[in-house]
Amino acid sequence: MTTEQTLNNELDRREFIRRASAAAVVSLGAPYVWGQRTDETLVVNSFGGEYQELFEKNVIEPFEKKFGVKVIHDATGTSSQDYAKIRASKGAPGFDVAAALSPPEVILGAKEGLLEKITDKEVPNLKFTWEKARQTLPPVTVIHTLQFDSLLYNKDKVDRPASWADYWQPEKRYGTKVKGHVINYNPANLLSVYALIHAAELGGGGASNMDPAWALLKSQKPYVGAVVTTSAEAAPHFESGEVWLSPYWSARAGYYISRGIPYGMVVPKEGVIANIDSASVPIGAKNKKLAYEFINFMLEPATQRAWCQAYFCSPGRGDLTDWPKAFMDSQIVTKQQFDSVKLPDLDAIGANRKDWTLRWQEIMG
Amino acid sequence: MAGTSKRSRVPAHWLLIAVPAAVLLVFFVLPNALLLSASFLKSEAQQLTAVPTLENYRFLLTRPLYLEVFLRTFVIGLAVGAIDVALGYPLAYFLVRTRSRWKGLLIALSLAPLLASVVVRTYGWYIILNRFGIANDALLGLGMIDQRIAFMPSTGAIVIGLAHALLPYTVLTIMGSLNGINPNLESAAMSLGATRTRTFFNVVLPLSLPGIAGGFILVFSIAISAYATPAILGGPATQVAATAIYGFIMQLLDWSLGAALAVVLIVCSLTLLYAASRLGARRAVL
Repeated sequence: MTTEQTLNNELDRREFIRRASAAAVVSLGAPYVWGQRTDETLVVNSFGGEYQELFEKNVIEPFEKKFGVKVIHDATGTSSQDYAKIRASKGAPGFDVAAALSPPEVILGAKEGLLEKITDKEVPNLKFTWEKARQTLPPVTVIHTLQFDSLLYNKDKVDRPASWADYWQPEKRYGTKVKGHVINYNPANLLSVYALIHAAELGGGGASNMDPAWALLKSQKPYVGAVVTTSAEAAPHFESGEVWLSPYWSARAGYYISRGIPYGMVVPKEGVIANIDSASVPIGAKNKKLAYEFINFMLEPATQRAWCQAYFCSPGRGDLTDWPKAFMDSQIVTKQQFDSVKLPDLDAIGANRKDWTLRWQEIMG
Repeated sequence: MAGTSKRSRVPAHWLLIAVPAAVLLVFFVLPNALLLSASFLKSEAQQLTAVPTLENYRFLLTRPLYLEVFLRTFVIGLAVGAIDVALGYPLAYFLVRTRSRWKGLLIALSLAPLLASVVVRTYGWYIILNRFGIANDALLGLGMIDQRIAFMPSTGAIVIGLAHALLPYTVLTIMGSLNGINPNLESAAMSLGATRTRTFFNVVLPLSLPGIAGGFILVFSIAISAYATPAILGGPATQVAATAIYGFIMQLLDWSLGAALAVVLIVCSLTLLYAASRLGARRAVL
């Protein structure tokens, strides 16, 4: 090998380190140069699907207009997936507001110290939220939306169900024709957990004794035609008309019915369990000041009215009146209505959800 | 001085591999080491503790549900590998041997599925296989069935979806192997009286075995770690290792069990891949 070839094939170590360092600095710094955020930018994480467009139109756009800021909407992930991101990043998931957390994740976030404490000082509208619901959650979140687990049925195919038993033992009410037309959900979705609790209660149990639920799940299995995890995954089964009976969140149910699917929504005689959607700020959020402003804005009366009527959900505060009658009749807007809805046993759910999921997988797998 | 100058220089090829090695160290070795350590830690109420335990492995290796998940995962890997080799070999053979002026286009067409996202391709199968899909409509229309069949969610649907998605990998690998065979060897065999069939089985097939083994190993390893296709065509009730790991980490927020499941998957697949590659190497030598 000649000297010239040697020079061509070998790099001076210092030169190599210098060039590599320069390349590293450029590539690592690029996102900050090209994707630079300002104090006027806020990243909000919430659900996608049909929720995304409604949330952007009724909450995000009015907020941007009022405060003259830019909101980036991260519409990916379910509540547990969003919390998994918060945990994996040790509180700096890249979004400033986790706007669609459910109670189990909020409780975990408080235990792990990954969500900021929120008081009236940061979010003045906090004091107007449902007091009883607020007391069930640690002070790291703000309730903005209420829903409940209704029972959805295909009006063209089956009579109106009256009880959770009509879902869990469909053959008793409807015979074998319902075979393959019942949907079941993975307990990774809180909807499934609530439905299983109703099943346990039908057999004299409850969140502390789920044995009756497993017996009913086994007996229901031959009638199940679709198994999904998220509520959004169930939507195509309603659109095709293939699923005749399903527990479903009241807001989504109302939304789809309003779009013309031939389904009806029922509050079974045994009652329903409230689902609390709340917003939190991860400890590593970059724009906390604006994040608190956003959460406070979500609870403004005008925002609550627009959002709740667009999404068929109940407000996070109970002091608003003058709702349209049809809305009042189907939603939780008064204290009396709120008291008629069961609140979830969050301690039992948090402690047992993993075991319930594993049990569900063993039966449905 | 000359000696000093020599010591300060590093061969260029070492420097070239230094960067990818550093990337692998930071983004592969380190996360996997963390994964391994998490698998030996106890989780309580969805929180990782510092208490060392073997409970996660005991749990996974004694529950029939997870043994079934592993079995399903490896059956899918083997089935997809076998189907893709069986389908990919004739196609690769044709593409290598054809003298058509359209050869380039044919090769591009056979690899075209790689241009579409695996999610898009899998949803294509979803549209075909679901209870109200094209397959059911066709069978009903032809009078072959009188009730709709639930082709999915099922292990079979996952195999079909993955076999379709991964076929180009076996075609590419086997084409590489076939291209490396000297055509004079076939001419020599036939000039000595061997028929085309005998020439293929005695000359071409044995010489292309490394390509077959490589294609099989590649497809098998992608299939056993696939997430999107099993999640869409299998659903939550037909779990494979990747969907179960995702469920533990992202849905149940139990990192210990998710990590342990991932470690078991890595160990099992590395063992199988090592055995397959040894077998492939031996065959190639023989």
